[in-house]
Amino acid sequence: MIRILLAAGALSGAWVIASAVAADDKAKAALLDGQLPDDPARPLVQGKCLLCHSAEYVTSQRLTEGQWQKTVDKMRKFGSPATDEEAKAMTAYFARYWPPDLPPPRVVRAPPPPGSVPGK
Amino acid sequence: MTLDRRQFLKSSLSGAAAFACWVKVPTLAHAKGRADLIRMTERPPNYESVRSTFTTRITPVERFYLRNHFDLPKIDVAKWRLRVHGLLEKELSLSLADLQRMPQVTVEAVLQCAGNGRALFTPHVPGVQWRSGAMGNAEWRGVRFKDVLALGGLKKEAAFIQLQGAERPTMNTTPAFIRAIPVEKALHPDTLLALKMNGKPLAPSRGQPIRLVVPGWVGDDWVRALVDVEVRADEPKAFYYDTAYRFPVTPGAPGAPIPADQMKPMTKLNVKSLVGSLSDGDRLAPGVHQLAGVAFSGEAGIERVELSFDGGKTWTAAKLDGPAAAYGFRVFRHAWKAEPGSYEVACRATDSAGATQPETPVWNPSGYLYNAIERLRVEVRA
Repeated sequence: MIRILLAAGALSGAWVIASAVAADDKAKAALLDGQLPDDPARPLVQGKCLLCHSAEYVTSQRLTEGQWQKTVDKMRKFGSPATDEEAKAMTAYFARYWPPDLPPPRVVRAPPPPGSVPGK
Repeated sequence: MTLDRRQFLKSSLSGAAAFACWVKVPTLAHAKGRADLIRMTERPPNYESVRSTFTTRITPVERFYLRNHFDLPKIDVAKWRLRVHGLLEKELSLSLADLQRMPQVTVEAVLQCAGNGRALFTPHVPGVQWRSGAMGNAEWRGVRFKDVLALGGLKKEAAFIQLQGAERPTMNTTPAFIRAIPVEKALHPDTLLALKMNGKPLAPSRGQPIRLVVPGWVGDDWVRALVDVEVRADEPKAFYYDTAYRFPVTPGAPGAPIPADQMKPMTKLNVKSLVGSLSDGDRLAPGVHQLAGVAFSGEAGIERVELSFDGGKTWTAAKLDGPAAAYGFRVFRHAWKAEPGSYEVACRATDSAGATQPETPVWNPSGYLYNAIERLRVEVRA
């Protein structure tokens, strides 16, 4: 009986680890897919960055915290309406999820967008 | 430790919850059709060409990269005017019909984004992460810029031509895209105000109704939907001229900051080549493979392209399509008898001035003008 319980426990433990690894893999895949992970800073990005450009301007970058800081500073000079506190939160969010060692984003093939080919 | 059904469900749900907290960013619906480009950013539209595009001399418009700083301007071509002012005897306001009545010439030239290859620099630098597809070669047809400037009559103090297109940033606190070129390049007979690209009127995101064509020079000067030309004695004070699009006078160590006074505007493109018919990681069957690619170099024209299949130990001259074009792509070809094995395929071009591609790129803070020898890993097996 003890042996059965031990075996079941080992299997369950393995499942917990496997499910955590699978979730982590899916999270990583979502990140490389250009998605913005849920976070208190996510609505800030939507409100302060996506006014002027799409999210790939964030999700395709692979930068150090110092580089993210400079980028946020530049965008605030360009008109991003972020307060000091909001800028700090966004910088931390960017540095956490899009560091230099994150693999490159998934390649997205697409047809030419409207206005790029005569008559189309 | 054992898991009962409740715990089992709980652990399953925790995994699902971890996944569910990734929320997809909504994207616009895409038109149906053959996927011909790689989307870098959706707004503003920035797309690069796929590698297989680079096996022909002329790049088709539908496979030509797109680079935008801001949303596309809405232009009523019937009301559009080009204002030319500043150090001129007479200010001009020209319609498209005025330009169409002037002598038209055709120039073939490569348009390449300054940041083409930015993603390949180490350490990484911020900006659109172009790999190798932010370039293309087209036949541009239009009016010589010097003919337009002659209508106004340049004053002798004229030294720089400031350029601005119709595009505007979303926020008025964002700097406008203003560039300038020296008057000598503006007066070069190959510098055009192009009305057509590959025989057709320019599409809106190609610069409708006219764009500047500065053959051999980096794409930041090729201002689209041109509306304002100011002849000046000095260089403009504008972010996209005096801060952005600058290259170090003397390159520093990778990652090291470079003082602003040690940066200057880019001018000519540097020599570059790419095997369009191969991609990194390709697996090929043994046998003869017809390789093809393109090479180009600013104003010098391509003299030689060599290929290596052993990581650069030995080099073989590729066959060049002719004749050499001063500013265009030169297609190179090679019939590769591929035996089973692992290969590192490299290509390097040399221009008519003797400039060749470096082994390592010249790192710079904005990731401009990447032109290191490209190396592709290819497996040949039955």
